Parts: sequence; structure tokens; C-alpha cells
Amino acid sequence: MKPETVDPITLSTVWNSFQSMGREMRYVIDRTAQNYLIAQLHDMAAGIWDAQARTIAVPEGPTSMFLSQQFSVEYILDKFGDDLHPGDVIICNDPYKGYCNHLPDWGFFRPIFYEDELVFVALTRGHQMDTGGSFPGGYFPNGYDIHAEGLMIPPTKIYDRGRERTDVLELIWNNVRWPDGVKIDNYALMAALQVCDNRIVALLDKYGVPTVKDAVEEMLDRMEANVRAQLADVPDGTYYGESATDDDGTVLDELVWVRCAATIKGDELILDFSESDAQRRGFVNCVYSSTYSRAVAGSFLYFDPAYSEFHNDGSMRPITVVAPEGSVCNAQYPATVGGSPVNVGTQVLEATVNALSKAMPDKAIAGWGRRRGHYIAGIDPRTGERYVQTTTDADGGSGAVWGYDGFEGAMGMSGLGSIQRGSVEEIEIRFPWRAVRYHFVPDMSGAGRWRGGSGMLWEVENVGGDVGVATGSSDGDLTQPPGAIGGEDGPLSRMYVRRGDEIIPARTHRMVQIKAGEILGKVSGGGGGVGDPTERDPEAVLDDVINEWVTPEHAREVYKVAIDTDLMTVDQEATRLLRNPEEPSATDTDA
Amino acid sequence: MYRVAIDVGGTFTDCLVLDEQSGDLRQFKAPTTPPDPSVGCIDALAKAATAYGLGLPDFLGQVDLLIHGTTLATNTLINEDGARTGMITTKHFRDMLEIRRGYKNVRISMYNVFVPPYKPLIPRRLRLEAEERVLYTGEVLTPLNEEEVREAARRLGREGIESVAVGFLHSYANTAHEQRAAEIVEEELGESVYVTTSSQILPVWREWERFSTMAVSAYTGPAVKRYLLALEERLGRNGFSGSLMMMLSDGLVETVENCIPRAVYLIGSGPAAAPAGAVHLGAETGHKNLLSFDMGGTSIDIGVVMRGEIPTTTEGWVQDERVAIKMVDIVSAGAGGGSIAWVDSLGLLRVGPNSAGSDPGPACYAKGGKEPTVTDADLALGYIDPAFFLGGEIELDSGLAERAIMERVAEPLGMTLEEAAQAIMTAVSSFTADEINEVSTRRGIDVRDLTLVAGGGAGPAHAAFIADILGLPNVIVPSVASTYSAFGMFAMDVGRNYARSYITRFADLDTGRVQTLYEEMEKEAIAGFEEMGYRAEDVSFHRTADLRYIGQFHEVEVEMPMDPGQDLSETAEKTFRASVFRDAGGMRMLDAVEEAIDNFHAKHYDLYTFNMPWQGVELLTFRLRATVPKAPFELHRIPQGGPDPSAALKSHRDCWFGGERVSTPVYDGGRLQDGNRVTGPAIIEEPTTTVVIPGSFVATVDAQRSYHLSRNGAVADTPGGAR
Repeated sequence: MKPETVDPITLSTVWNSFQSMGREMRYVIDRTAQNYLIAQLHDMAAGIWDAQARTIAVPEGPTSMFLSQQFSVEYILDKFGDDLHPGDVIICNDPYKGYCNHLPDWGFFRPIFYEDELVFVALTRGHQMDTGGSFPGGYFPNGYDIHAEGLMIPPTKIYDRGRERTDVLELIWNNVRWPDGVKIDNYALMAALQVCDNRIVALLDKYGVPTVKDAVEEMLDRMEANVRAQLADVPDGTYYGESATDDDGTVLDELVWVRCAATIKGDELILDFSESDAQRRGFVNCVYSSTYSRAVAGSFLYFDPAYSEFHNDGSMRPITVVAPEGSVCNAQYPATVGGSPVNVGTQVLEATVNALSKAMPDKAIAGWGRRRGHYIAGIDPRTGERYVQTTTDADGGSGAVWGYDGFEGAMGMSGLGSIQRGSVEEIEIRFPWRAVRYHFVPDMSGAGRWRGGSGMLWEVENVGGDVGVATGSSDGDLTQPPGAIGGEDGPLSRMYVRRGDEIIPARTHRMVQIKAGEILGKVSGGGGGVGDPTERDPEAVLDDVINEWVTPEHAREVYKVAIDTDLMTVDQEATRLLRNPEEPSATDTDA
Repeated sequence: MYRVAIDVGGTFTDCLVLDEQSGDLRQFKAPTTPPDPSVGCIDALAKAATAYGLGLPDFLGQVDLLIHGTTLATNTLINEDGARTGMITTKHFRDMLEIRRGYKNVRISMYNVFVPPYKPLIPRRLRLEAEERVLYTGEVLTPLNEEEVREAARRLGREGIESVAVGFLHSYANTAHEQRAAEIVEEELGESVYVTTSSQILPVWREWERFSTMAVSAYTGPAVKRYLLALEERLGRNGFSGSLMMMLSDGLVETVENCIPRAVYLIGSGPAAAPAGAVHLGAETGHKNLLSFDMGGTSIDIGVVMRGEIPTTTEGWVQDERVAIKMVDIVSAGAGGGSIAWVDSLGLLRVGPNSAGSDPGPACYAKGGKEPTVTDADLALGYIDPAFFLGGEIELDSGLAERAIMERVAEPLGMTLEEAAQAIMTAVSSFTADEINEVSTRRGIDVRDLTLVAGGGAGPAHAAFIADILGLPNVIVPSVASTYSAFGMFAMDVGRNYARSYITRFADLDTGRVQTLYEEMEKEAIAGFEEMGYRAEDVSFHRTADLRYIGQFHEVEVEMPMDPGQDLSETAEKTFRASVFRDAGGMRMLDAVEEAIDNFHAKHYDLYTFNMPWQGVELLTFRLRATVPKAPFELHRIPQGGPDPSAALKSHRDCWFGGERVSTPVYDGGRLQDGNRVTGPAIIEEPTTTVVIPGSFVATVDAQRSYHLSRNGAVADTPGGAR
């Protein structure tokens, strides 16, 4: 490490300030945006990069949205060169010209200047309620190519030196559905950038550019040293992980595999996805930057939690992500990518975790319940207005980790808990839908010494007119989130339409018509387990039975624990026999 | 007659007595007595009685008003020792309390998955269901199945629960099912069981927020009820016949009878009083934009007061529980006198969040603490006199403080003792400054426009350094700093906040319905006040409403004028009459709503740097604050003197300021006079606290013996250079 140029107090002050700016940006977006995905479910992110496109602060948000955005920032800095000015805002959603994730995730970049010097770049990104294309919401399979998925915006100035380029914005808004709503969300994302600009300038006013730059170098170096030291402690070797998604949305029911070979060599980590399936015809393809961000996010989970908030460019330096061109993990133009945050994207994270849990079993992590999303497009008879409705409510719980059961209710591995659920009352007020059932389901978690969070039963009734439902943002009919070190995989999920007494199965990646009075139902699998279920503490199993997370039958068959359901106690002798049928009992030995 | 405020904290029970004739204010402290904190209250009152030369019954007989703040409800939650609680809810929705909004964890990085899962206050087996369904319009889709409620109640009875929470979907729009279910539970389980409904606690939309708040109330309720009844009984037995008022989380005070069924309103009681104290002190000097800052042993409590208004929020969390009632917006952070300084594996100096507490306490307490704390650093820098801590009640050991700093901070970082002590001081000040910055920016406020009001045992020693970092020109330190929250309780109004949800776009608004909602709330408020013995005409109302742009998910609370066209503050006194004489046609209500919408556009801009006047607005929740003014009080005035403070000079001692050893004058606060000016660097010692005045500040003493520190124009000695 080079000699210290900045005192430790200034260093921690500057560091904390960047983290808090990230949180503030998120707060402003949350408070002012209008689409369900951004404001209610928090499918949005904010972060700060420096003038060399190095990641400074990425406190929170869906992994795919910003952990690889150094590529995007670098691309923008190269493209505009000297033509960047205070007050500029640049929009970009293009995976192929801009390193974005999929088209609905629009990014807003703001170069931040201090006395004519470009010092930082702030980015806010959020999933728009529409981005044009064949079907609202951006999760429509079967696009001919990426152009069918919607408007593709390369880095484009929408504010020039503080002046709105209304004509350009109108070109964009004119090509999406619900332009009034999208407009609000765009202003929300840009307002957060303004807040960040104000805060950075205040920070530079206070400490001066040289001191802050020195602090930044120190922040990056210290995280690099920290991550390298931890990697050096892991035995060298290559560890393999894999995970599959149901299909690519076009060729149905044919699994798509992501395979990760994680090599630890000294203080470096190489995550190699070369053995994954080739780029697909369907819309599940990840571009390299998407793969990179998931893989890096997965590896961050294994580093000391005390610093988990502080990761930056330094943490990424020891990590290399390999994915050959033309792979489903490094798709090439004009491949469709719409479904990749759910399908394949999640699998990149799962395969990474699956591999690293073998390298570090005392930090083993299981996959979370699969995404069970949808997009409903229809007309609200109460207002006559068109609406698009989506939700995360049906998703199952989180995976277990070494030492802890999964979180009940937490959902979405690719957001690692930063994406949230909605509210029943909010849905009923906002959309012509009524919740019928919404609760956990027993035995719908991956068993293990630590079990996964439970799956859900979620039913909603259509109280409006006839609608089309796209189940593109779903996975898990055929494939399961992997358990770890002997823990079970998370259970399979299913979906159906109830039409009177008739139950019609519905599948992922399809279009489903639902008439007024019919019910959309989902039963989701929860997270995977960690460790052998027969090693789970029988008292914990009893507690699960008492609270109806696990049925007595499941306790006996899977956990090998016999519960006396009259007394609600563990039948110790029967449990011993279930778990160790060979071993004589204590009383036998005494006799 | 006397007026008394008692604030039961984690370590000490603070008691502040105001002699209503002389205006004299005296502070007493007794140890908090955890199993039954009412014992500690009586101990503190007995100390006060002795000080006035009276027996306890004689003293209490002369107390006409006792205002009480207690962290009991908060501590019950934190210590997880609340009641065994069951829930009855809408069929097929029993898991709302545990599904929450899908939070993995609150306030912990998303990259940390090694976190114990959340455990709800009411476990799954005690959450039972009954068939019923109400819609958001208030319409009943499925009638209440009373037999299922009865069966659920019996089952909970068999489980031995002490408390039952009844929460149904959309109950804010129609409370009938919840009310009926609560009656049935009472019929089945008798009066010994504490019954709560969600619409009684918070008749506002969003089920999880409402249910979570209800669960907190149900869980803490029995403990709160036991305590309040014990306290009333104990006070009565000792001769008290005045009125006992409880300090609520929303900064108002209420009778014990009204608090018992709504225990959640006592969450945060105590610290929530501090901003009221700041407002009172600020008003004396014409400062209306204030930063209330209370630094105790383990934490700091920060509140921003704009235009003299106590800040409130409905976005609060207590631990992992969401509490959505309106609460005074206090942000707590883990930094106080007992916070431990340590060097982390990245080689960074950190202070807190762990605290040495009072046992073992800072190293200098000589009670076995080995870790250096902020207090140890204060001692090493010479700011605190080891022989005069808490007025000499605890003798401090400087040697132990220095050893702890050397071993744990100075040596690992290659610093001298003084450098390390200075670094700890700077670290805690920077951390605090950052927290304050985040609190104020979130509200769209430039922190430099605020006056810092510093309280708490450790606040007066640190306030000026924090003000320096933030660029604040003025600091007020009251002589009652160490009983700052208790002081705030004197300054609070009696009253309650009400809320009703009616969700509608402005275009579809039925102003008659809004009128009815407000009138209902006003009627309820007046009935409540009359029960407390107040006259209806003394009640003031303050209306607000939650608005958002159509499509948004979060609301902004804005003023809803009572009498459109006139300045609200001028009409505040006449509001009751205004509401009575308002015409029924709804026309004036429309004016009021339009003004509220204008307020919304403006506030949206202030908060978020933009607004969207082209976008339609929807209204969601209508709120009413009903208050009767507090009894005015006048504090004792100290004698006037000239600028020269030398009559109060005690001694000189060596202190460290900005890395330099400085022979610093030490003044006796009790001997300073109105108008004295103390130029920094200097120390003012009060029995329960020490005010540190760095070289960049001058302190002026006012008639109530508050210290007004102002920066003398010299550039502050902040790390990292000039601003």
C-alpha cells in the first residue's frame, strides 16, 4: 500500500458521505416515482463512479442494474469526451451500446463537475413501466430480435448544460405506453441526480478536490487489500456450480443451463461461465455486463459482512469474470435480452453461489425462491384508463445460509432483499383486482439443517374487464433454486387460472387470457436449504410443525423427526430410530 | 404549587421541578429501577421533596401537574419481554405480519445474508383467521363470521395469551367488523385480556403498516397498563392529587386513561420531548429553525425543527418493527459518551455503535472497562474535571482512560495519546455531523441555516465541535442540558393526533365527505378533552392531509387551512368557532383543498428538487391535531451582570484544542450572570454537565442561564482544511 496521504478521520467521513448519498438518491426516487416496480417494489438503483469510471459507491439495488456500470460510465465518458458539461444528463438503456441490462431499465447519468473539472458521475436506474416493444412491461418472449423488445436508447443527452432537451425527451416518450407516467419516473430519477450533485459539491467545498481524490484512492486500495486477504485464506482450487432456468421463452420446456467454474488462485478469483449453454433464440440472454454484475454480487456475499456496505472498484479488482462471446452469458447483437434479469441472470447468481459454497462450506448459501412475476395489461373500468400491473407478492422466501434459516417473506435473489413486496390494500385501490388468498404454504421450503424461507399461495380475482397476462417474468415450473452442502433445492412452483370450479394450469413464458370474475393463482416454492435435513435440531423441526411451516408427515419423511401431534413434542425414541436405525438405543446399551 | 416532569431513561430517572411562583427550576436524578420503574419515580420525587425541605406527601400535595415520559414501551419491545399476544385476522391473510413488505432485514447491507431471520411479535400459530371481507370503499363483501371469531378467541385463550390484536383488511374504511370481533373476544376471554383493534390504533390504509403498529401496541400494552396503574396507585398513596399526564410519541401529552388502550403511542415517549424543549429555548432568542441534539451515554437523538414546528413522521421503525403512527421525527444513532473507540481491520478509527454503558462504563469509571470511550477522550483532552463529574458523584481515573486510549487507539495508529484522544473526538463529531447532514438533507434543509440546541449529559462538551464541522453559526446550551427531555415536557401541548383515510383523486373529491371526516375527528377530540376536564372552546385544531401525484406511491403531508384565505397562525385561536360556523355546502372546503394542493406542489419541490403541476393530485389521509395550550411557565431569571465573567472563574487547567495544549479558564456555571461573555477556549462547569467552548466560539449567558455560543468569525479548525 502506498504511503497515506489522507488522515483516517477524513477518509471515513468521505467514505460514509458517499454511502449516504447513495441512500439519499434511492430515497428521493422511492418518494417521487409513480410506477409499481420502482416506487413499491424498489426495482431501481443509484450509485457513484469517478472520472476514471471506477465504482465508488453502490450501496443498494438489484444487482444487475449497477455492479457492472463502470463499463457503461466508461463508454459514456469515451463517447462524449470533452462534450460533457455541468448540468448535463444522459439517458441510456442499450445493452449493446452502453452495457445496460435489459431495455426497461433506463439509466440516467449525470457528470458532476467541480470548478470545471469532471470529478464524478452519478447514475440512477429504474425499471420503467414501459419501454415500447410488442407487449407492455418488457418481459415479452418471442421478439424477432432486440428491436422488437422496445426502444433502444444509446447514450443520449436529455439535459444539456442544465437545459432540458424536450424534443429528444418527447421522441422517447412518444414511443412508450403511458408516457405521462414514464415522464414522472424520469423526473424522479433525474431529481435524485440533482440531490447527489448538490451533496458532492458540498463535500468538495468542505474538503477540496485533492483530499477527496486521495480519500477515494485509499477507499479503493483498502477494499482491494481486504478482499485479497480474504481470498488468500480460501484453499486454492476450482469449484463447480450450475443452475438451470425453465426455458428460453421461445423453445419451451427446454432447460437452459448456466455453469460456473470458480477458481481461487492465491488472492484472485476467476468466475468462468464458458461451459454455459450457447446464446438462445428466446429472450433469456445476458450480455456480459449483466453476467459480470451477478457474478460479482454473488462473490461479495462470501466476504466479511462488516464491509458488505462498502464494496467498490477495489473489491472487484481481484475478481475476473469470463464468458465467451455467443454464450448465453455473453450474448451478441441482435439477441433478445428482455427476460434475462429473471431467467439466466438469476442462474448466474445461483451458479456462482453454488460453486463458492463448495469452496467455503462454512459460508454456504442456498438459492432463493424463484421469481413468479407477470404483467397484466387491461383497462380499469373505474377510470377507463389503461393499466399495467405486476407484482413480486407471489415469490417464495429466501434461501438458507450456514447458521440461519431463510427469511420468510424476503424475495428475489437477484435483488438480494433490496426488491420489496406490495400491499394488498394498495393493489385493490390501484387496480381492478381483489386479493383472495395471500399466505405461506407448509412444506414449500427447501429442507436442510437450516431450511429455506417458505413459498406462498397467492390468488387474485379479476374484478375489471378481460385482460391478457404475460407470464414472462417467471421461472421455476421445471427448475429449482439449488440448496447447498446437502440441503434440498427449493420446491417447484405452479400457476393456474380458476374459472369457476375449473382449475386451468398456466405456465411461465406464455400469454394467458383472464376474464372478469376469474382468479389468477400461484403457488410458489420457497428458498433452498443448507446442510443435511436430518441434522436439523429436532426442536427446530417441532417449532416448524407447531407454527405450520412443516407438516408432521414432512417432518418424519424429510427431517426424520417424529412429532407426537397430541402432546406437540418430539418423540425422542422414534426420532432416534428414524435418524440412526442401526445404532442401539441408550437403554439397550445400559441393559 | 409545583409542576414536575419525570423522564425515565435506561440508566437514570430524571426529575425536573418547576416552582410555579418563583420560576425556579431544579434537577434531580435517581437510578432507574427496572422491575418496577414507578419505584425510581418515587425515589426521584422523594429527593426533590427533601431538597424543598418537605415530606413526600406534602411535596406531592403541592404538585398540580406531573408530566411523565417513559421508555417502558420502547424497552419492552427492545428487550422482547412483552405480552404473549395473539391475532385474529381476515381469512386467508394471516401472514401479513410476517410477509411484511418482503424485507430481508432493515438497515443491513443487501450483501450481508448472514443475518438471523426476523421473528414477528405474534408467531404464526397465534395468528388465527375469521371469515369476513370489507372492500376499500367500506362495503362489506363477506359478513363477519362471528362463530369463527369466537372459536379463534377460545383457542387463543387456551394458548394462554394475555393480549389479542384484531386486524382486518380495509378496516380503516369500515371499522364494524373489527369492533364486533373485539367485543366477542372480550366476551369470551374476559376483561383481564388486553384487546386492540387496528382501526382503533391507526385507521389508515396499508394493511401491514397498520397491523404492525397494532401488534406493537398489543405486545407492549399489558406491561404499559400494569406500570401506569401501579404508578397512579403509588402516587396517590403518597399524597398526589394533581393531574398525571403521559408524554406521547407524537410530542403531545395525554391522560393515563387514554394511554392504556393505545400503548404504542408511548413508543419513543421521553426522547420525543427534546424538540419541544428546543422550540421553547429557541423562542426566547428568536431562533425558529433549530437542530435539537441530545447526546447521552449510548446514543444521540437528532430532530430538525423548522419555523418552530415540531417535526413528525409516520415512517418510523423501532428495532425491526414498523410503527406507522405519527411520531416526533427523532433519528437516533449509536454515538454517546460511552461509545467505544476501536480500530477496524481496514485500519480505520471507528467510534460506536457499541457502548460501555454504565456497567462497566468508560475506562475512567474504574469499574473494569478496558475499552476507550468518548468520555475517556474528553477526560484526556482536559475537558472534564476528574473530580467534578456529575458534580463529583463519580470520581474518574485519568490514568485508566489514558491507558485504554494508548493501547486500543494510539499504538495501533502510531499516534501520541493526545493525538489519539483528539482523533476520537473528531471521529465522533464527524460521525454525528454526517448523521445530522443525512437527517437534514433528507428533509431538503441546508443544515447551515439551523441553530444547534444541545442537550444530554455529553451534548454540551461536543456541540461546538459538531457545529464547526457543519458550519453552524449558533449553538444554545441550556443549563438543564442533562435533563433536556424532561425540560421539553414542560413545553408540550395537551392533545392527540387523529387520522382517517379517504382515498380519492382531486377530480372525484366529495368535499362533503372530507368535511364529515374532519368533523368526526373534531367531535371525537372534543369529547376526549371534555372527559379530561377541558372546555371545548379551548381546543385548537390543526388540519393536514396526505397528498401525492396520481400514480405516486408515497404521500407528502401538507397543511389544510381551516379558514381559507387567512393566515393559519392568526386564526389558530378561533379555529373551533371556525369549524362550527363553516358552511355546510362544501364550497369553502373546496377552497381549503385547493390551497392544500398548492402547498403540496411547493413542498414537493422543497423536498425533492422538482414538482409536477401538470400532473393530477390524489388525496389519501386526512389528519387532525387537536390541542389545548400548555399552561404557560416563566423561568427564574438570574441577576444581570456585565460582559466580564471573571467573578465566576474557578481555575485554569490544561486542555487540548486542535493539537495544542492550552491553559484554559474554567468557570462555575452557577455563578455566571445574565450578559456575561465567555470567550473560548474556555470551560463552563455545571453540576451535571460540562460546556466546552473552543477558541472559535464566544458564549453569552442569558437571563435563564442558557449559553449562546456563536462563532466569532475565525475559520473553524476542521479536518481536511478550509471550507
